[in-house]
Amino acid sequence: MNDKDIDTALRKAAQAPDTLDPALLQRVAASLHPLEPVRPLPPTWLLVVALLLLGASIALAAAFRAGFYGFAKMDLLERVVIFSALAGLACLAAAEFVHSVIPGSRRRFTSGHLLLVVSILLLAVFALLFHDYHTDHFLSVGMLCLVTGVAHAIPAGLLAWLLLRRGFALNRVTAGLACGAFAGFVGIALLELHCPNFQAFHILVWHTAVLPVSAALGAFFGRFLNRRST
Amino acid sequence: MHPDSELERLMARYQTGDFAAATALIHRVSPQLHRFFLAQFASRSDADDLLQETWLRIHKVRHTYRPSEPLLPWAYAIARHVRVDHYRKSLRASAREHRLEEISSIPLTSNPASAPPTDELAELLAPLSESQRELLAMLKVAGMSLEEVARATSSTVGSVKQKVHRAYKKLREELGSLNLKKGGRKEQP
Repeated sequence: MNDKDIDTALRKAAQAPDTLDPALLQRVAASLHPLEPVRPLPPTWLLVVALLLLGASIALAAAFRAGFYGFAKMDLLERVVIFSALAGLACLAAAEFVHSVIPGSRRRFTSGHLLLVVSILLLAVFALLFHDYHTDHFLSVGMLCLVTGVAHAIPAGLLAWLLLRRGFALNRVTAGLACGAFAGFVGIALLELHCPNFQAFHILVWHTAVLPVSAALGAFFGRFLNRRST
Repeated sequence: MHPDSELERLMARYQTGDFAAATALIHRVSPQLHRFFLAQFASRSDADDLLQETWLRIHKVRHTYRPSEPLLPWAYAIARHVRVDHYRKSLRASAREHRLEEISSIPLTSNPASAPPTDELAELLAPLSESQRELLAMLKVAGMSLEEVARATSSTVGSVKQKVHRAYKKLREELGSLNLKKGGRKEQP
């Protein structure tokens, strides 16, 4: 038996008449009455732009409060490379989050793959720019940065979830992961604006760690919503 | 515009509150959705319930459909979600029944997931895994393209191709051995 025979058998079986009760269809149609008009979701690009504006506002507002010490210490090249990389990667995460709440969206990679790719790209950017390999107060200062980043990623994630509340997440865990990854970039952006510690290992470990931690928190949040709804 | 643009036009009118368009859409799409559920080993009454549940869900989230996008991947993505929900609920119910059975030792009905196929297509797809059956049902019953199936299953075209390839390989082996057995039986005196 070859593929053509299998195709023929499948088509034949699929064409067999399905005795679907017309009364059932009438019942389904009747259940939609009265029918209200609805406003379709805005295009993906608009939702992505809204998410990016939200993220940028949170990061800037927090940096205004905490101080732009990191930004002031950077040279022009570092500023351009870091913030354009963060904007590009946050854009990818935001697009993935939008796709995860619209059924039937085109996916180029899974949310897990996205997290892996953006983490590696971010590590590469940081590794290229920072070459001070000293490690002063590695754990205590690092933990402070991680907590600060995640503490700002949480409200960013919640507001992003609220912004896309009209969407329908088929898989809330994946959607939470994508939302958390996006929120992680908000936390990292704040750290880059604020943190004047340019030691390579500090940035590579503690700043980048905000991304997987906040993505994991997002996935747990999605799982919690899943459990609550079933 | 998408080749099956009539469906997309009906859906766009459904979003504007056109009841006639909604009814027409239900009559156009329901038979293939029903067959999709039957191909997943659902009993006829389960398939009816799943179909109703799918339309209720479609109705609730109809604003998430964008008129420039193909309709079938969107509708099948929701149908899949409804089926998975139903499957999880029935698993939980059967687990509860199982606990009750341990207590009272009363024989119970079988798990719906292990019920025998009720449809010719389901019978043909029986040797395959759940995800493989789902893909072939979309490709062969709904006549969706690989791209559309990828959208409906939230995966990539490459991943769909790979799964379909494996499904065909398994079907070739299973159906081939079945033919051999039949041939062997005929040759016996």
